[in-house]
Amino acid sequence: MGIKGNYSLWNIWVASTLLKILLFPTYHSTDFDVHRNWLSITSLLPMKDWYLENTNQWTLDYPPFFAYFEWFISRFIPNSVANDGCLDLVTKGNYGIKTIYFQRSTVIITEILLFLSLQWFINTSTTIREKKRNFVISASIVLSPGLFIIDHIHFQYNGFLFGILILSIVNAKLGNHLACGFWFAVLLCFKHIFLYIAPAYFIYLLSAYCMNPLPKNLNSFKNIINIINWLNLIKLGLTVLSVFFIAFAPFAYYGVLPQLFNRLFPFSRGLTHAYWAPNIWSLYSFVDRLLIQISKKLPILYKIFNKSPENLSNLNDSLTRGIVGDVKFSFLPQIQPNHTFLLTLFYQIMSLIPLFIQPKFERFIGSISLCAFSSFLFGWHVHEKAIMLIIIPLTFVICQDRRLLPPFQLLTSAGYVSLFPLLYGSAEWMFKSLITFVWFIVFQTSFSEVVHFQRKLTTRVIVLDRLNLIYMLLFAPICIIIQMLDIESRNFQILKKLEFFRLMTYSVYCAIGIISSWSSISWLYFLDDPIWTEKNDDEELRSKKTTNTTIMMLDNDEKIKTK
Amino acid sequence: MGEAKPLEKSDFVFLFKGSPLNDFLYPFKKAANQWVARYIIIIFAIIIRCAVGLGSYSGQNTSPMFGDFEAQRHWLEITTSLPINEWYFYDLQYWGLDYPPLTAFHSWFLGTIGNLIDSTWFQLDTSRGIENIDMKSFMRLTALFSELAFYTPAVIIYTRWMGRNYNKAPSIDQTIIAAAILFLPDLIIIDHGHFQYNSIMLGLALLALINLLYDNIALASIFFTLSIGFKQMALYYAPIFFFYLLSLCVFPRLNLLKLIYIAISVLCTLGFLFGPFIYSGGFLQINQILYRIFPFGRGIFEDKVANFWCATNVVIKYKNIFTTSQLQKLSLLFTLIGISPSCYFIFITQNKRLLAWCLSACSMSFFLFSFQVHEKSILLPWLPITLLLNEVDADVISMVCWFCNVSLFSMSPLLKRDGLSLQYIVLGIMSNWLMGNLSWVRKYTNIILPFVSKRKYATPILPHSFFWRIIIVTFYITASILLYCDFMVKPPLNLPDIWIVGNVIASFLSFGLIFLWLNYKIYTVSQVKLKTQ
Repeated sequence: MGIKGNYSLWNIWVASTLLKILLFPTYHSTDFDVHRNWLSITSLLPMKDWYLENTNQWTLDYPPFFAYFEWFISRFIPNSVANDGCLDLVTKGNYGIKTIYFQRSTVIITEILLFLSLQWFINTSTTIREKKRNFVISASIVLSPGLFIIDHIHFQYNGFLFGILILSIVNAKLGNHLACGFWFAVLLCFKHIFLYIAPAYFIYLLSAYCMNPLPKNLNSFKNIINIINWLNLIKLGLTVLSVFFIAFAPFAYYGVLPQLFNRLFPFSRGLTHAYWAPNIWSLYSFVDRLLIQISKKLPILYKIFNKSPENLSNLNDSLTRGIVGDVKFSFLPQIQPNHTFLLTLFYQIMSLIPLFIQPKFERFIGSISLCAFSSFLFGWHVHEKAIMLIIIPLTFVICQDRRLLPPFQLLTSAGYVSLFPLLYGSAEWMFKSLITFVWFIVFQTSFSEVVHFQRKLTTRVIVLDRLNLIYMLLFAPICIIIQMLDIESRNFQILKKLEFFRLMTYSVYCAIGIISSWSSISWLYFLDDPIWTEKNDDEELRSKKTTNTTIMMLDNDEKIKTK
Repeated sequence: MGEAKPLEKSDFVFLFKGSPLNDFLYPFKKAANQWVARYIIIIFAIIIRCAVGLGSYSGQNTSPMFGDFEAQRHWLEITTSLPINEWYFYDLQYWGLDYPPLTAFHSWFLGTIGNLIDSTWFQLDTSRGIENIDMKSFMRLTALFSELAFYTPAVIIYTRWMGRNYNKAPSIDQTIIAAAILFLPDLIIIDHGHFQYNSIMLGLALLALINLLYDNIALASIFFTLSIGFKQMALYYAPIFFFYLLSLCVFPRLNLLKLIYIAISVLCTLGFLFGPFIYSGGFLQINQILYRIFPFGRGIFEDKVANFWCATNVVIKYKNIFTTSQLQKLSLLFTLIGISPSCYFIFITQNKRLLAWCLSACSMSFFLFSFQVHEKSILLPWLPITLLLNEVDADVISMVCWFCNVSLFSMSPLLKRDGLSLQYIVLGIMSNWLMGNLSWVRKYTNIILPFVSKRKYATPILPHSFFWRIIIVTFYITASILLYCDFMVKPPLNLPDIWIVGNVIASFLSFGLIFLWLNYKIYTVSQVKLKTQ
């Protein structure tokens, strides 16, 4: 997009801001009251009580920088908004249109950071081709339907948080490792969900910044010490620690750190959310429920799984209601938090090993996405909104190779559609579907125009592409039918009972797409090195390089053998 | 204004260059991507309409009578619940049906679909004043699909015809012009904010116009009759259609066959519209329908509207001087004088290029001088004037933009009452910005915001003529002051309506000048022979 030589996000900013302002009067979720309550907590109470206050059920459960941020915003509340109920510390917020206008505009204003960081990203590109590519990447991020749905309708502040993430990513790209670490530490102190991708940052900064190239032999103690670049390690450590110090010191001073951490990491919640995020556990729960239904017809299942029907009847509807609390499975083994933790850790470590060996920028982005993927797919009590954490970093490498596009298409289509149940009302249905559809069409065509071409396309890839297409096309009837069922459920009692079924359809169908996208991205990550290691502006240059490296590698092998 | 010249391909200067609309659509200029561009502007047009539809509608939460939204919903209720011969008789005090039969059929059709979804929305009597979000979404969707069925494709076909046969604009530029028209705020905010189905009437009239361009006179008369059959206000266009068709039958020599074609198609359409009523209740029904749709018992204007009668009413109190019937005759006389130049020129020249111009002047004259006008009637002159964007002439485009802003401004009291001020401001800025009218801001923003594109060329917001420049700038300053006062300053107690009256006078003066300009342009354009086909 953009006329020749015009790579400014300004037009996109104006257009999308105008559209976002039109969304002011629409539906907003309880998250709106959550943030309003935080405004009142931070503006009315002394700092030591911020993490103790619990009048409202939506207590402050984000890290300190976010609390400072809310305090900062509350300085700008005009009197008319304050009188409107914006700052009342009550069990349930009672506010009017002015509060809504105020809070919604803070989302739009803070989101400018996202635009600025992406504009910086575009401006750092060196060639015209790269600039064009970076422009498409940036435009696809700022116009993401996910941000429209989550931030501007549902209500959250993800826009500027992703702005900070992108600041740190662009710094990594430019080789400013210290700034990269600094911004990521700041980000973690804003919202701790970014811990999902922290391992990738840790390994990348360790390997790229804090380690010297391997010496030839490790026989002396000095050489072993010199593997670590101690000066850089101290610089980075001090930077990160001072950020954490600024964030947490006041609360340590007041002695409320235990309560603070208790708020940040509540382990009392269930495995899945009320609406299952489209991950492994949603498939797992689905299989369990399927077995319950089958067992009614085929009693032999009770014998196979060694269960008795009496025990099961108590558990039957536990999954339908499990908003908060334990989720019990009927047939399949129970899942404990440490199971999910181990699985997540395993897959994260798998993606970190290549990064540790080759700390290249593209590799780093790939491993960020895979870390986010494994947390999303295997984590405990994952929210569907966390999908943005995978999509946004992954966008940065999507133009590296044509083969990355199909899994990316799968991921974005399944990921964004899985956000639809956040807006369950009939008023927003048309809006959310169309904005997702048009984003998909515009950006998939733009991506395929600017992406690097891979000449050899095997039949396997072509067959998979067809499957992808069928999968994505099926979203249209699914979305329409589910909405029709939703509307018709007022007429037919039987459809009312199926309300959970509709959510399950979304979650299971999207889970299939996201998991297959994860597996093909992992495949490319582990088995196709050139994508992740080279900046390839020129096709021929690249092939020359690969031949060179293979020759060098062969040489090395021979040397090793001779030794 | 310079002399109008016939446009050649070499003269063609692309006029939206440098505008954001051009920036957005230019990447699709490849021939293979043309259709993508057309679908994308339609989808974005729908998205904007959906977003506006999330806001409030006329008469929300204002018991007991509510507003236009309730009127439309009530018609769905009576048409689906009552036999056809009671439609125009049922409880006339509560939003009785007062639009022609096609509206009634349309309401019946939508009501039938609605009843499949939820039968409580349109239950007779019990559903009065019903307000729930699902019903609102349903009604919003019906307005959206009604617009998609007629108005949107008609705009695209029209710009394509003009591009191919008259202004020779490249394909991508036709799409840009169509997008500029589809993103103009007036119709969006009235149909999808305030809530009405004007897009059907306008769409049908535009289809009739397109069929005239393609020389399908029978289809044109059918569409135009249907348009009047949907809303009697389409009669504002009738003189031009009448004289154009008549001149086709008379010049170059009397052609009775054509006349018979037209007569048969009009009569058949009328039969389709009124037949069911005559069948079910005899000719008494016709009397009642006509009585309902032409309410001459009411005053010369409603509320505050920016036309001649309301604006001069500040000085001359017509109601004290004349009786209602005298006023009717007076307004008829003024209207006839107003429409005569446009009718004369279309009759004499048979110029297809003049059609949009004459429709504009004619309907503008109706708006300014006729009896019983309300502020939403500005949509009738609005449609043909927006079509003038196809005249690829910078001066015309800046005049059209000015007109659109005046018309939006003239509706501001109505929209403020509906709680649509936010949408009003956002859409106003959006449409002007998209067409590049706000590009002059760049001069100043470039200092603060180095990211903003530095290109200098953009569509000028003002025409070249010094006279119009002064008038337009004066209008914009006055309008901003009045808008600011309307929102911020309480009017003095003895003059509670002062800002609205100011609005009416400012808008009337602008409309009057635009009316004169239209007639002047009709004269100059008619001096130029159109080279088409």
